[in-house]
Amino acid sequence: MPAFPDARDYQILFLSLFLVLGLSTRDWTLKPEIIATAIVTCLVVQVIISHVVSAIRLPSSVSSARPSINVRSPLITALGLSLLFRTDRLDIMALAAGLAIASKFVFQFKGKHCFNPANFGIVATILLSHSGWVSPGQWGENAWYVAVFLATGGLVLQRVGRWDTSIAFLGVYGLLEVGRNLWLGWTWDVVGHRLMSGSLILFALFMVTDPRSIPNARIGRLLWAGAIAVLTFILRNYYFVSTAVFWALFALSPVTWLLDWWLPAERFAWRSSSTIQVEQQGVNSPYPPPLEAALVPQIAPLRSDAA
Amino acid sequence: MKFLRSFIILLLVCFTMLMASPPAWAFCGFYVAKADAKLYNQASQVAIARDGNRTVLTMANDYQGPVKDFAIVVPVPVVLQREQINVGDPKIIERLDAFSAPRLVEYFDPDPCMPIPPPAAAPFPGSLARSSATAESRQRRDNTLGVTVEAQYTVGEYDILILSARESDGLETWLRENGYRIPNGASQLLQPYIRQRLKFFVAKVNLDKFEQSGFQSLRPLQMAYESPRFMLPIRLGMVNARSEQDLIIYLMSPKGQVELTNYRTVKIPSNETIPVFVKDEFSNFYKAMFKTAYTRENKRVAFLEYAWNMGGCDPCAADPLTPEELRKAGVFWLNFPTRPDVGGRGMPIVRPNVFITRLHVRYTRDKFPEDLMFQETSNQEFFQGRYILQHPFKGDLSCRAGQEYKRQLSQRFEQESQTLARLTGWDIRDIRRKQPTADYRPEPWWRSLWN
Repeated sequence: MPAFPDARDYQILFLSLFLVLGLSTRDWTLKPEIIATAIVTCLVVQVIISHVVSAIRLPSSVSSARPSINVRSPLITALGLSLLFRTDRLDIMALAAGLAIASKFVFQFKGKHCFNPANFGIVATILLSHSGWVSPGQWGENAWYVAVFLATGGLVLQRVGRWDTSIAFLGVYGLLEVGRNLWLGWTWDVVGHRLMSGSLILFALFMVTDPRSIPNARIGRLLWAGAIAVLTFILRNYYFVSTAVFWALFALSPVTWLLDWWLPAERFAWRSSSTIQVEQQGVNSPYPPPLEAALVPQIAPLRSDAA
Repeated sequence: MKFLRSFIILLLVCFTMLMASPPAWAFCGFYVAKADAKLYNQASQVAIARDGNRTVLTMANDYQGPVKDFAIVVPVPVVLQREQINVGDPKIIERLDAFSAPRLVEYFDPDPCMPIPPPAAAPFPGSLARSSATAESRQRRDNTLGVTVEAQYTVGEYDILILSARESDGLETWLRENGYRIPNGASQLLQPYIRQRLKFFVAKVNLDKFEQSGFQSLRPLQMAYESPRFMLPIRLGMVNARSEQDLIIYLMSPKGQVELTNYRTVKIPSNETIPVFVKDEFSNFYKAMFKTAYTRENKRVAFLEYAWNMGGCDPCAADPLTPEELRKAGVFWLNFPTRPDVGGRGMPIVRPNVFITRLHVRYTRDKFPEDLMFQETSNQEFFQGRYILQHPFKGDLSCRAGQEYKRQLSQRFEQESQTLARLTGWDIRDIRRKQPTADYRPEPWWRSLWN
């Protein structure tokens, strides 16, 4: 029996651990008040929009069934934003957090999020405000951190059943970088340096694997993760975008519904642990409406038609 | 149905692929000795002013050898026109250095027996001077080596060639045939740049022009270009360097701090109170402290030494650069009021939209395999390497408060010694020996008992 029944609890634990680790050893520009802003904003926006949405959907006679408030998902989004997004202004962090949570409600298709909330918050805030940035170098390329990410990420992914996505992304991206390296004639330590980047590993394990926003079918996921890897490679090496992974994920997120439509997912619905939960839209579900999603995966999603 | 869906997806993919097709580009090079001069470029200084894709790069070097033996090869993104190349004012790099250098500040304790006069603070300009100098190169020849001389100019005291090459072996042979002493292994390092279709900026000193110019040392070379790449090639520079090399980069942006994207950027230890005797050996102190921090970070980070808006400083190690000096440093976007009367009412203080970041990178081949990649951020946080000397009060301390002051002083000296030992790795016993004594003897407890 696992210590936490919900895989998201592991995520919250690990992301908090990374944050403490980063703050104490990585000399970040991050300030506690900015982290607090992210957490408070995410929770408040989640609560407000949940209430508004349920009020709109429900006839007044049923309104005694108040929506249960989902804390885990906004917390994960807030921690993810704190880890990845940099700003020296509280209002910009609040904007990113607000946009991240709002995106879950606005951009959804058949109850499934279109974007990873943290990713959406980061990209939208950079586009809208031109303030805030992502520091892809700030985790360095220390093998010890990579090991920590792999171990913790593996634990969560195993419970969620989304290893395939991480492997497809890292595999395709790694192969492309190795190929380019061979063609250019750089030495092997160049490609090693590129692939050992803590930020890349963090992204591959904790962001690209969010089951609430990625394709349901395994083939779909493999194709999708491979496409993100290719786009990342192109953006990074030919357009010199240092934060290519975030833009690639953002750009390809809407393809998810296309893949879900093309490759219906029944036979790929993984039930890897005893904690499968059926997520249905509406207040009668024992679980909160499908608003949660997060930086990181939670439980293997089942399509409503498969349930 | 399934087939139709697959077909639609395929169409979409093809369409998306057609939409995207790439151009490419990049940048600092390596120094090529002619004859047998031993060259090490161990403390280079580069200033980069960048807004959007537009970049002005200024390269200075502390090259000390005979001028005639000096040449530089730098990968550049495009064939540079004559107007894109300039010989800069050597004072500019010195000014940037002086303005952004880590600084020592001095404070003096007030007389503890004469309470309250506010403490006087005297800014003390930092040291750490580094001189400038620069590059050079040579002739053209084409032939079967696959090397094309794209352009050739004489700018100031430099003869400049822009070369493109098809094969690194050809380029290496060409350089050798034209009298450049290429370090072994250079061809292997040139290949990746050739494959990325970079050109090579080759400069050497035109001795006649150099003598006419009357300058004692080589002036910095500047180039202006447009490229999405925000990087500094350091790999070529490692060919003719035996050991650790120091590179100081002054990055100017209209937006905010600049940081590295493929290595960590770490703040140098700052705002520490250290023993007063360090005043006479600040440069030794800084070197030792840098080395300690560098080793602690496993030798694979870039240190942030300064980040500030060009409009001011507190305390100033040197005056901020004037608009004219900023322009000479390559800042092309300045929105300063061009006429002095703008602003009118007595306080025409307008901050220039120039944010300077000073990065200090000490690199070796094994810890820095990749060229340096930068990104501009909107981070407006100020930072400076600042070290504090707190002079004790010297005078009559016979009053009761004076005794208390002495007691605190001996604790403070010990604290300062420990800080210095931690920062520099120096032996704490040597430090304690150099520290003054507070001359504090605790009064026996019984003395005040019966009086």
